[in-house]
Amino acid sequence: MTRFVLRRLLQSGVVLLGVTLVVFLLLQLVPGDPVRVALGTRFDPETYEALRARAGLDRPLPVQYVSYVGHALTGDLGVSFRSGRPVTAIVLERLPATLSLAVTAVVFALLVAFPLGVLSALRSGSVFDHAARVFSQFGVSVPDFWMGIMGILLFAGVLGWLPPSGYVALTDDPARWAAHVVLPAVTVGLVTAAILTRFIRSSVLEVLSEDYVRTAEAKGLRTRVVVLRHVLRNALIPVVTVVAVQLASLLGGVIVIEVLFAWPGVGRLTYDAVQARDYPVLQGAVLLVAALFLLVNLLVDVLYARLDPRIRVR
Amino acid sequence: MSGTADSRSRRALAALRRDPLALTGGAVLVLLVVVGVAGPWLAPAGVNEVDVDRMLQPPSWSHPFGTDELGRDVLSRVLVAARVSLQVGLVSVGIALAVGVTLGLLAGYYRGWLDNVLMRCMDVLFAFPVLLLAVAIVAVLGPGLGTAMIAIGVVYTPIFARVTRAGVLSVREQVFVRAAVATGASDLRIMRRHVLPNIAAPLIVQTSLSLAFAILSEAALSFLGLGVQPPAPAWGRMLYDGRGFVTEAWWLGVFPGAAIFLTVLAFNLVGDALRDVLDPRQLTLSEARRNAG
Amino acid sequence: MSSTRFRMAGAALVLMLGVTGCTAGESVDVDGAGESGSSAGGVLTAAISGEPDQLDPHRTSAYHSFQVLENVYDTLVEPDANLEMKPSLATKWTTSDDQLTWTFNLREGVSFSDGSPLTAEDVVYSYNRIIQEKLNASYRFATVKSVTAPDPTTVVVTLTAPTPNLLANLGGFKGVAIVEKSNVESGEVKTKPVGSGPFTVASYTSGDNIKLVRNDSYWGTKAKLDGVTFTFVKDPTVALQNLRGGEAQWTDNLPPQQVPALRESDDLTVRSVPSSDYWYLALNQARKPYDQVNVRRAVAFALDREAITKAAKFGLATVNQTAIPKDSAFYYDYAPYRRDPAQAKQLLAQAGVTGLTMDLMVTSEYPETVTAAQVIAAQLKDVGITVKIRTLDFAQWLDEQGKGTFDAFLLGWLGNIDPDEFYYAQHHSSGTFNFHGYRNPTVDRLLDQARTETDQAARKQQYEQVAKQIVDDASYIYLYNPDVVQGWSKQVTGYEVRTDRAIRFRDVALAR
Repeated sequence: MTRFVLRRLLQSGVVLLGVTLVVFLLLQLVPGDPVRVALGTRFDPETYEALRARAGLDRPLPVQYVSYVGHALTGDLGVSFRSGRPVTAIVLERLPATLSLAVTAVVFALLVAFPLGVLSALRSGSVFDHAARVFSQFGVSVPDFWMGIMGILLFAGVLGWLPPSGYVALTDDPARWAAHVVLPAVTVGLVTAAILTRFIRSSVLEVLSEDYVRTAEAKGLRTRVVVLRHVLRNALIPVVTVVAVQLASLLGGVIVIEVLFAWPGVGRLTYDAVQARDYPVLQGAVLLVAALFLLVNLLVDVLYARLDPRIRVR
Repeated sequence: MSGTADSRSRRALAALRRDPLALTGGAVLVLLVVVGVAGPWLAPAGVNEVDVDRMLQPPSWSHPFGTDELGRDVLSRVLVAARVSLQVGLVSVGIALAVGVTLGLLAGYYRGWLDNVLMRCMDVLFAFPVLLLAVAIVAVLGPGLGTAMIAIGVVYTPIFARVTRAGVLSVREQVFVRAAVATGASDLRIMRRHVLPNIAAPLIVQTSLSLAFAILSEAALSFLGLGVQPPAPAWGRMLYDGRGFVTEAWWLGVFPGAAIFLTVLAFNLVGDALRDVLDPRQLTLSEARRNAG
Repeated sequence: MSSTRFRMAGAALVLMLGVTGCTAGESVDVDGAGESGSSAGGVLTAAISGEPDQLDPHRTSAYHSFQVLENVYDTLVEPDANLEMKPSLATKWTTSDDQLTWTFNLREGVSFSDGSPLTAEDVVYSYNRIIQEKLNASYRFATVKSVTAPDPTTVVVTLTAPTPNLLANLGGFKGVAIVEKSNVESGEVKTKPVGSGPFTVASYTSGDNIKLVRNDSYWGTKAKLDGVTFTFVKDPTVALQNLRGGEAQWTDNLPPQQVPALRESDDLTVRSVPSSDYWYLALNQARKPYDQVNVRRAVAFALDREAITKAAKFGLATVNQTAIPKDSAFYYDYAPYRRDPAQAKQLLAQAGVTGLTMDLMVTSEYPETVTAAQVIAAQLKDVGITVKIRTLDFAQWLDEQGKGTFDAFLLGWLGNIDPDEFYYAQHHSSGTFNFHGYRNPTVDRLLDQARTETDQAARKQQYEQVAKQIVDDASYIYLYNPDVVQGWSKQVTGYEVRTDRAIRFRDVALAR
């Protein structure tokens, strides 16, 4: 167990290093001089030199990279080209909004997917099962931003039940936060629910077909108890992974939905950075998200290995 | 061994024909290809026929999908944009397939340090949420159709590499491959003649599903204004441009979005059905990562 | 949907000087009625279309920053509703006989919102900061030799050359605001600026809002509102919904296509005034066949400006074939072109041009150029010119503009005031923004003359000659002057739309 954790830890470390390299090289892809491009009309020689020096772009590439990683390790991701503020602070500021949206979306998704997935597995082949399949097919195929637009049209426009967009911090006013979070969370959550429904269904089906379940049934335990005691517990192990992966990617900010609903999270920060050609912020946001993503995956793997000792391959 | 592959594809086709959902998906795809090829001829009006005197008109007999904020015929634009979507899907998945399969073959066939290096690289790319990475790449390269295709291609490469490598590992030690090695066949020949045909099934499934996601990703990029640039029509871009008018002109939101939805749905239905037949146990990694970004 | 950067598109300059004699708003609200304490109170939420990049008034060039800072900072003098310079931090000023020394008397007892006094030293610090660090507004100090503070309420500005425009330069907009040294040096000015204006920044939630509260130690009439919250709402439909739903009480981001209907609605007040911005099409005269005046005139005759304006601005603009808007004292009524495809074809034939393909460069930074380009493409098609539209990122756009790798481009100039700003840099053969290669010795001579002309009538006449020549030569093909459109709820009283796009909430009250 310890060896497995250590190995995964090492692996994640290596990947993270690779991630920093990709993020670092991103800036090299900018056609021309990134600082010049970023400044655009705001160009003046002194600002330019100052930004260049601050970004360390006047040094050789390997030196730049080593210093980038060194600074990143101490939490210093550079300063924004646009506002001159530290990138780390800018990115961290956006986490609460993204976090509250992601968690709400996943909770909503679970509330939908869990009963849907389990029931359709238990009644595999029934009308209900087919309906669930259609739902999940719908969910993975529908563009989330389109559903968001339709949601705004219907619930904010025609019916006027919900605000069309915007954000209120949970800590400021929970009721207004809730009103604002419903549309984006449901939009994101529906897609997540569709994915989870499939996984839960197939996971439950798989466990149902295993020997020990049949044995339990043969022993005369009532189906319900079998389901509750054995099936769910075993079936949920792989589902945990998927939920965690979903949550991790949502934490990275659902760019399109955050833009559509003016949700001031990491995703919209990324988009704004793209628009403003604020490369340090873009790099910082992408790096943070990838690191978060890796961390969650690592945790899941470890958790998974603990829950189900049979599976340690990957 | 190619006999197995043949009979499998025959079985697959037969199974697809029995699955009403897959059949529907297939029919939509055929329709889509027809529109993609013949779009400009099917369109009742030119895509850039601007007429400010008829802007934002609701659907009517002369403009079944209404007109947009420049008085252009929405139906014509939706039809012609099908080609863009298909093009992006095919090219970007083509890139991912070519690069991913090559890397996966090399890694799985030669194992050792090469495997380690290649797969760690893939892990790195995998560590980014899909759309986030695509947006970052497009952002630095500059928005446009070409960069969008490259970005989406890069983003979906690791999936193909992983699927290929897993497949290679499972056939590598089988008798027919060993036999081929014993006869002194070259590595290239073994990979082409013996390994590839036997891992085709998961790749076909993955390709079909990836097409769906690639088209969705392109739509998302265009919706962020980072994909196809005006005046060329693209579904995501039409939603982006129409966003400000959607409350008084619902048709600007409904039709392009429905086109994306139907296209993606069709690829998904066919992909799912193929998976059920060809490769029922394949982990749909791409699916688990669908939301990423 | 890029934010409207408050700068001259194509230049790093930000100009918000007074248009001489420009009238639109009626009078300034100078009611000394509500002294502090008797205020109606309440917090007004203003939905603006984008987020400030930072709040350092000397470093930002974003219009969204100035929307906020207008209410936080003061300048020595400031433009009134007619854009004439009026006392603000300076109560009066005198000019030496040789016009080279200006002495300003500062208002007594003014303090920054943190309580520290605002003295002449702060003015010197602020101006020197702009000059020495070559910040955005430094060009406004081009003729300033030195700024000194002989005593705490006196500022002396010495010049290298007479500068009739000095007041406008020192007070035109909040980019020349008086800042607090300690606030700048701590770096807090970027997010928590300290000014002496009617409001002060209470909090800044990046990506969402900026909250201002009333500055109770403000030297002037205290604001009636308890505070102003600026929220960033990119989508105009949403901004309107916020306004209707009571989440916001003011916005400058109304869906343009709905404005005519909104003007009639009884739940909102929607007002517009013409701005001094202009949008135009430029043809690259360094490239064939655009070096021929007939080809350029053919393009001018092919355009239907009404249609372009309708598509790009939904009619919220005034068609103009010259640069300077109708309300300006320098307006020159000259409109030789009308859509006439036959005439255009004839001109092209005279020039011996057939089957022309034009590479038209536009930028996503200003979506109206993208829209206008599509209409222009359709119109030019009718005279046999095929337009290939290239939509570029603004940085790349500027790069190509600089290199001259284009047949044509569309862009606007924002916030120009003096005719010199309208014409010199763009059309003088040595002009810094003459990227389209226009050369006309007569225009050069007139522009140089008018620059130093002290007789206003003669100057006006010279600029009229310039305008006529530029239009006849189709150096720029002018399209329209957009309107400033803003809307607010019926609860809001005391607000006036200004032609310089400055947003002032200090006299505004909110009925409850």
